[in-house]
Amino acid sequence: MKYKYIFLVFTIILFNCKNDSEKHNIETSKGKPINIKYAKGFSVSNHENFKVLEIKNPWPKAEKTYKYVLISKENAAKTSFMQDAYDGIIIIPIKKIVVTSTTHIPSLELLNEEQTLVGFPGVNYISSENTRNRIDKGLVRELGKNEGINTEVLLELKPDVVIGFGIDGNNKTFEIIKKSGVPVIFNGDWVEESPLAKAEWVKFFGTLFNKEKEADSIFNTIEKDYLEAKKLAKNTKTKPNVLSGAMHNDVWYLPNGNSTEAQLLEDANVNYLWKDSKGIGSLSLNFETVFMKAKDADIWLSPSNYTSKEALKNANAHHATFKPFQNNNIYSTINTKGTSGGVLYFELGTTRPDLVLKDLIKICHPELLKNHDLYFFKHLD
Amino acid sequence: MPNSKTYSLSFLVLFLILILCFLTNISLGSVYIPLKDVFNSLIGSTTEQETWLHIIQNYRLPKALTAILVGSGLGISGLLMQTLFRNPLAGPFVLGISSGASLGVALVILGSSVFGGVFVTFLISKWSIVIAASLGSFLVLLAVLMVSIKVRDTMAILIIGLMFASITAAIVSVLSYFGSAQQLQQYIFWGFGSLGNLSWDELGVFFIIYSIGMLVCLASVKSLNTLLLGENYAKSLGLNIKRSRLAIIISTSLLAGTITAFTGPIAFIGLAIPHLTRQVFNTSNHKILVPAVFLFGAIVMLICDSIAQVPNSDYTLPINAITSLVGAPVVIWLLVRKRNMIF
Repeated sequence: MKYKYIFLVFTIILFNCKNDSEKHNIETSKGKPINIKYAKGFSVSNHENFKVLEIKNPWPKAEKTYKYVLISKENAAKTSFMQDAYDGIIIIPIKKIVVTSTTHIPSLELLNEEQTLVGFPGVNYISSENTRNRIDKGLVRELGKNEGINTEVLLELKPDVVIGFGIDGNNKTFEIIKKSGVPVIFNGDWVEESPLAKAEWVKFFGTLFNKEKEADSIFNTIEKDYLEAKKLAKNTKTKPNVLSGAMHNDVWYLPNGNSTEAQLLEDANVNYLWKDSKGIGSLSLNFETVFMKAKDADIWLSPSNYTSKEALKNANAHHATFKPFQNNNIYSTINTKGTSGGVLYFELGTTRPDLVLKDLIKICHPELLKNHDLYFFKHLD
Repeated sequence: MPNSKTYSLSFLVLFLILILCFLTNISLGSVYIPLKDVFNSLIGSTTEQETWLHIIQNYRLPKALTAILVGSGLGISGLLMQTLFRNPLAGPFVLGISSGASLGVALVILGSSVFGGVFVTFLISKWSIVIAASLGSFLVLLAVLMVSIKVRDTMAILIIGLMFASITAAIVSVLSYFGSAQQLQQYIFWGFGSLGNLSWDELGVFFIIYSIGMLVCLASVKSLNTLLLGENYAKSLGLNIKRSRLAIIISTSLLAGTITAFTGPIAFIGLAIPHLTRQVFNTSNHKILVPAVFLFGAIVMLICDSIAQVPNSDYTLPINAITSLVGAPVVIWLLVRKRNMIF
């Protein structure tokens, strides 16, 4: 059933074709893959007249690989497809796009394609000034919530593609959108296991806009800056003990040892106290465990969503017994917000791990990176 | 009917179990602390590690005391509700008290998205959630009470309580829909319930309100026994039904309201502890039931908390889940074994 629309679209195209002689079956040709160094969740192969985009891991433990044909309008008219082999056929370059996560916004802006954004669920979360200006002018429509996108408004916008994300394969809204004839591609940047792999998804957007070269160069700069900062931090001898996260009720949530947050701390050459824990995502620990290990930590980074020391203390008096609280050594990204209240780190942090790493180095090794001003992090007062 | 001597023996045994559970609860946790150091911390002496002293005095001790207040308070409010409405299904959850508290908390945490700035300033206050939850539960219970004056049928009152719970749940859903991710997270965490979140100051305030609720309950013991005979019969014995009813409602809302406010909604205890007690004590005399429910509630809650702490592991489970998981099968087993419900 889900390929019905593809069949329909191409039946129409076929009937409108005047020159049938150029049609060829794309399954027979082999493509040349684009260079992807870190990301494991997507791949793109270039064929003569089209590209094939594969999304391998849109959510953890995804069972199938999603395949999309990216093709120009002209070539689409000349080509026929094995309709069951693909999850969508997308005409590129994209002229109108709907993305569903703020992490997708920086890629559009870095590629100078922010004008293609026509709708977003929860526009208030967007912090970037450029896109905010467009929202204020009414050029980006509010689509409601990610879990319940307003389908009518979305269909009225007629986007070429919707970039969705899902925590599993069961998002009914996206199914409805697909059935209405608008292709949906799942973005799996958040499943990637390293900061640079997440950032490399800018190449995914580059492909959609036929801007592979630009995307490649953007990523290379980010990678270079990141690796240089990492190398700089390696040379320091001091390694402050770092605590992270905070308590909600009885449970202290903090990044697991293999999470991207922990990798950033490792690359910033600090001693994250839970660096040896195994697994990605977050740990949920008992207060006693955290207290025994981290009471005398030097620095406390990202204490969940608490916006002040007072809020931390009000939420749980035990927070105030930790040394970084008493020594005023807490830093958080939660107070760096856009004009409508979105947290900048959540939006830009994924695409710019170089800036995150420099922030961490600046906080933990103040003698390094003297010219760098904290971008995401702020001292928690 | 067992004589009073047997009861005093039962009470003595229960009291000793309570002390044992209390000490076990304090000595078990994620961090292993030798028994000697646990006792040293309790009497304010020095311990091998300074951090142990903090853990015992400022984390485990207030948590264990909170467990006693929560277990006994919820058990007693359940007993009061069951007697007042003469219905074995009554309890703080069923009558919408907990939903009222949830609504109050939802308005404070999620309300700023809907109502804007006024709520944000209120949020800064440390006590906002406690006050909101108490007000919410009191208002819902008051509404149920007002209806109960009009409607004589106690079953109808229970259904009305359930309807109030549905209405509050619906409002909470609407607020949740508009709430931000952080607000939702905060609200969901509150819903998990927590005993280890109270500082000594908060515990002090909690204890004062709890004590007032308990005193009102103790003053109502005689009328509770009379109410068991039926309202008409109670009237003929000269009981001022309206006043007794109000006293019971005030006691319940103080107890259940403040407990929900400080520790979040804690399931099962309010409904099940009175039944468990009746099965063991085999009486409906409130002079026996009230202290027995107190002891049973406190013991069960301490046991549940010890399990929730998953001794010697780094993790803590939500107390709300443990109370249901541990408690509900026990009640089912008791009822099946005895084949009838004492009420």
